[in-house]
Amino acid sequence: MGVFKLKKGYNIPLQGSAERRVEKAPKTTAVAVQPIDFRGLRPGMKVEAGDTVKRGSILFVDKQRPEILFRSPAAGTVRDIVRGDRRAIQRVIIDVSADSAEKFESYSSGQVTDLTPEAAKSILLNSGLWPALRQRPFSKIADFEIAPKAIFISAVDSAPLQAETDLLLEGQEQNFQMGVNLLSNLTEGKIHLSVSPATEAFFAKIEGVEKHQFSGPHPAGNVGVQIHHIDRLLAGDKVWYISPRHVAQIGRFLAKGEYPGSKTYALTGSEVLDRFYVTGTEGASISDLISTPLDDSKQRIISGNVLTGAKCTRQGFVGFYDDMITIVPELTGRRFFGWLRLGLAANSFWPMFFSKLTPGKKQSPTTDMNGEERAFVSTGEYEKLVPMDVLPVHLCKAILVEDIELMEQLGIYEVAPEDLALCSYICPSKIEFGDIIEKGVITMEKEG
Amino acid sequence: MKFLENFLNNMDVKLKEGPFKVFHPMFGAINTMLFTPGHGTTTGPHIRDSIDMKRFMGIVIFALVPSILVGSYNVGAQAGIEGLFAAFMFGFLKLLPIIVVTYAVGLGWEMIFGHINGHDIHEGFLVTGILLPLTLPPTIPLWQVAVAVSFGTVIGKEVFGGTGMNLLNPALTARAFLFFTYPGNISGDGVWVAVDGFTGATPLAAAAASTGSAVEALNTAGFSLDNLFFGFVPGSIGETSVIAILIGAAILLITGVASWRIMLATTLGAYGMALIVQYFGADVAGGMRTLPAHYHLLMGGFMFGMVFMATDPVSAAGTNAGKWIYGILIGVMVILIRAFNPAYPEGMMLAILFGNVFAPLIDHFVVQANIKRRLNYGK
Repeated sequence: MGVFKLKKGYNIPLQGSAERRVEKAPKTTAVAVQPIDFRGLRPGMKVEAGDTVKRGSILFVDKQRPEILFRSPAAGTVRDIVRGDRRAIQRVIIDVSADSAEKFESYSSGQVTDLTPEAAKSILLNSGLWPALRQRPFSKIADFEIAPKAIFISAVDSAPLQAETDLLLEGQEQNFQMGVNLLSNLTEGKIHLSVSPATEAFFAKIEGVEKHQFSGPHPAGNVGVQIHHIDRLLAGDKVWYISPRHVAQIGRFLAKGEYPGSKTYALTGSEVLDRFYVTGTEGASISDLISTPLDDSKQRIISGNVLTGAKCTRQGFVGFYDDMITIVPELTGRRFFGWLRLGLAANSFWPMFFSKLTPGKKQSPTTDMNGEERAFVSTGEYEKLVPMDVLPVHLCKAILVEDIELMEQLGIYEVAPEDLALCSYICPSKIEFGDIIEKGVITMEKEG
Repeated sequence: MKFLENFLNNMDVKLKEGPFKVFHPMFGAINTMLFTPGHGTTTGPHIRDSIDMKRFMGIVIFALVPSILVGSYNVGAQAGIEGLFAAFMFGFLKLLPIIVVTYAVGLGWEMIFGHINGHDIHEGFLVTGILLPLTLPPTIPLWQVAVAVSFGTVIGKEVFGGTGMNLLNPALTARAFLFFTYPGNISGDGVWVAVDGFTGATPLAAAAASTGSAVEALNTAGFSLDNLFFGFVPGSIGETSVIAILIGAAILLITGVASWRIMLATTLGAYGMALIVQYFGADVAGGMRTLPAHYHLLMGGFMFGMVFMATDPVSAAGTNAGKWIYGILIGVMVILIRAFNPAYPEGMMLAILFGNVFAPLIDHFVVQANIKRRLNYGK
C-alpha cells in the first residue's frame, strides 16, 4: 500500500458538519434526472410529460452515444421536462408514486468475476449506471470504446464538510466488492482505491484493488490529485474514475437485478438546523430531504460541497454525482469599512485578520465575494494549495492567452476545475480559477 | 449609516451614465472603500476568503507608518530642530505636501485611465502614492514630484495596461525619472537637509568619498552603527531608519503580504557580494570597497528597497524558485553598483529596476524547468 502524506492544501474551518447518524427521508414526492449534471451531454429523450415510468425505466440516452442510458431512480409519472437557454434540456422531473421496478438479470459474486470484458461492459451500459464512470482528461462520461489505463476510486473525504464515505456505504461492503469485481473486467490495468486513515478500516477486506493511503488537507481527496501521485497521466493516457458510492450501487444492481434507486446524503452547512445523514432517492428533491423551512433569498442551497457544488433552489434536486447538500447563509448586504475590520470572525486563509489567532474556530461565512476582481497578484500562496507538480497561475495565464502548446506542457490534462477551487477561494483578486480551467478544458477538447 | 449607503447606491447608478461618468472610477473607489462592494458569489466556490486587495494594500500602508513617523522626525532632527514633537512636525509638514501632490496627480491619471479602460481606480496606487514620497529627499520641488508621478503612472504602469500588468515598479520608475532628469535635486550633498544652503552628505556618499578606511570616515562624520540603525542620518525621507523599516517588514511577513523569499534572498545576495567585494578590496586604500558587509545592509536605500520595493508582487518574479534568483540578483547588483560605479554611491533603485526587467525572464526559465520535469516523468 502506497502512503501519500500531502502537505499542500487547506481545510476551511467551517461550521455545519453532519452528525454521524443515518435516518430515513421523511417523504419522497419527486425526483429528477438532470442532463446538466453530465459534462457536455446532449440527451435524446425517450419519455414525455405524462408518461408513467417504473424504477429503472429509460428516461433518455446520450444522443451521440445512444448505448449510454439514463434510467429513472423511482417509479411514478413524468411531471415535466424542464428546458433552459436555447431549449437545452435541464432536468426530467418525476412525481413519485407506488414503487414498481423493471427486472434485470441478477448475478452472484463468482459469476461477475468470470464475465468477459464485453459482457461486463454491456451489463453496465444496460444498467443505466454507466454514467457513474467518468474519464480523465475532461471529466466526461467514460468512453466505452476504449480500454482505460486504470480505474481510480477515491474514498478520501477531504472537501469542506464532506459526507463520510463509511456512512454513505454503511452495510454495503459486499455490494462494493461486487462492483469492484465488475470493474476489474473493464481494464487491463489496475483498480486503484485510495483510502484515508478514517476510511481505511471500512475497506479492509476489499480485494482486487491496489490500495493507497492519502492524508493531508483538501484537495487530498480529489481524484485528480490522487491520479497525479499514483500513476500520472502522460500524453494520450486515458483513465476512468468512479465514486465508492457508485461502485456499491453497481454491486447492488448486480445482486438484486433491479435499478438501485436509494441513496444516502449528508445534510450540512451552518444554515441546516438538524444535520445528519438521510437516506432518500437518487436525484431527490431538496425539500423532501430537509425539514428545515428554507428561504432562497436568505440561504444558499448547494448540491454538493461549498467549493464545487451547484447552486440550487428549494424546489431543486440533488445532482447525480453529489452526495451532500450544503446550506450556507446568503450575503446580507454591504459592510461599513469592511476592509478595515479586525476580523475576529473573518474566514481567511491569510494571516491578515485576527481570526488567525484562533485557528481551530469554525466559521459560518456568507456568500459574500468580499471584494471585486483585480489583477493577479503572484504571492506564491496559490502554489501552497495545489498538491501537484503544476503551476496554477502560469497554467491559467496560458489558458487566458490560449497558448495550447503551453497549456499541454503545464498540465491542462491533469487538472479539473475542482482541483483549483481553493485558489479561487483564497484569491484576493477574486479570480475564478475554476472558470479559467473549464475554459482551457473546453479548448483542449475542441483541439483534439 | 443606512442613509449613507443608500446615497452611495443612488450615486453609483447616476454616475454610470451622463456627463459626470468620468468621475465614476474615482467614485467607485471611494464607494467600495466606505462599504464593501456587496457582490455575492454566482458559482462555486460559494464562499470566499475575507481578503481583498483593499486589505492587502492597506496592510502595506500600515507597515509604512513607522517609516513615515521616524522619517518625519529625522527630517526635523537633521534640520536642527530641537524637541521630539517639533522636529516631527517640521518633517511631517515637509512630507505632507509631497504626499498630497503625489496622490492628487497620480489619482488624476488613474481616473482618466480608469474611465478609458472602464474600471474603478485600483488599490495599488494607494501604496505607490506613499512609497514614492518616502524615497525622495525632503527638499524636492513639488512640481518635479508632479512630473515624476505622471511619468511613473503613465509610462511605468498605464501603457502596459494598468495595475498588475506593469513590468517595473511605478514608484521606482518615477524616482528613476527624477534621478536622471533632475539629478541636482535628488543626489549630491545639498538636498538631504531641509535647510537652505546647508549641506550634509549621506553615509553612502561619505563612505564612497573616503580616502582611508570607509568605517573611519563614517565614524568621523558621525555615522555610527547605532545612528544608521535608528536612522538619524541624512537621506531620503523614509529610507534612513532601519528599525522602522524592520517593524514594517515584520508586519508584512507576519501577514504574508510580502515574500520572505525575496527579502531573504536579497539580503543574502547583498551580504555575500559585499563580503566578496571587501575580500578583494583588501589592497584598496579607501572608498566603498573597504566597507564591511553589514554596513551595506544598514546604509542608503537597501532596507527600504528590499522590504517595500523589491517585494512588489507585480514587478517581482512570480514563481517561488524565481523569487530566490530575483532576490539574489538584486542583492548582488546593489553591491556591484555601490562598489564599482563612480558616479553614484547608491545602487538600490537601479538594482531593483534591473531585477524587475529580468523577472519575466527568470520566471520563464522556472516555468521551462517545470515543463522539462513534467516531460521527463515516467521516462
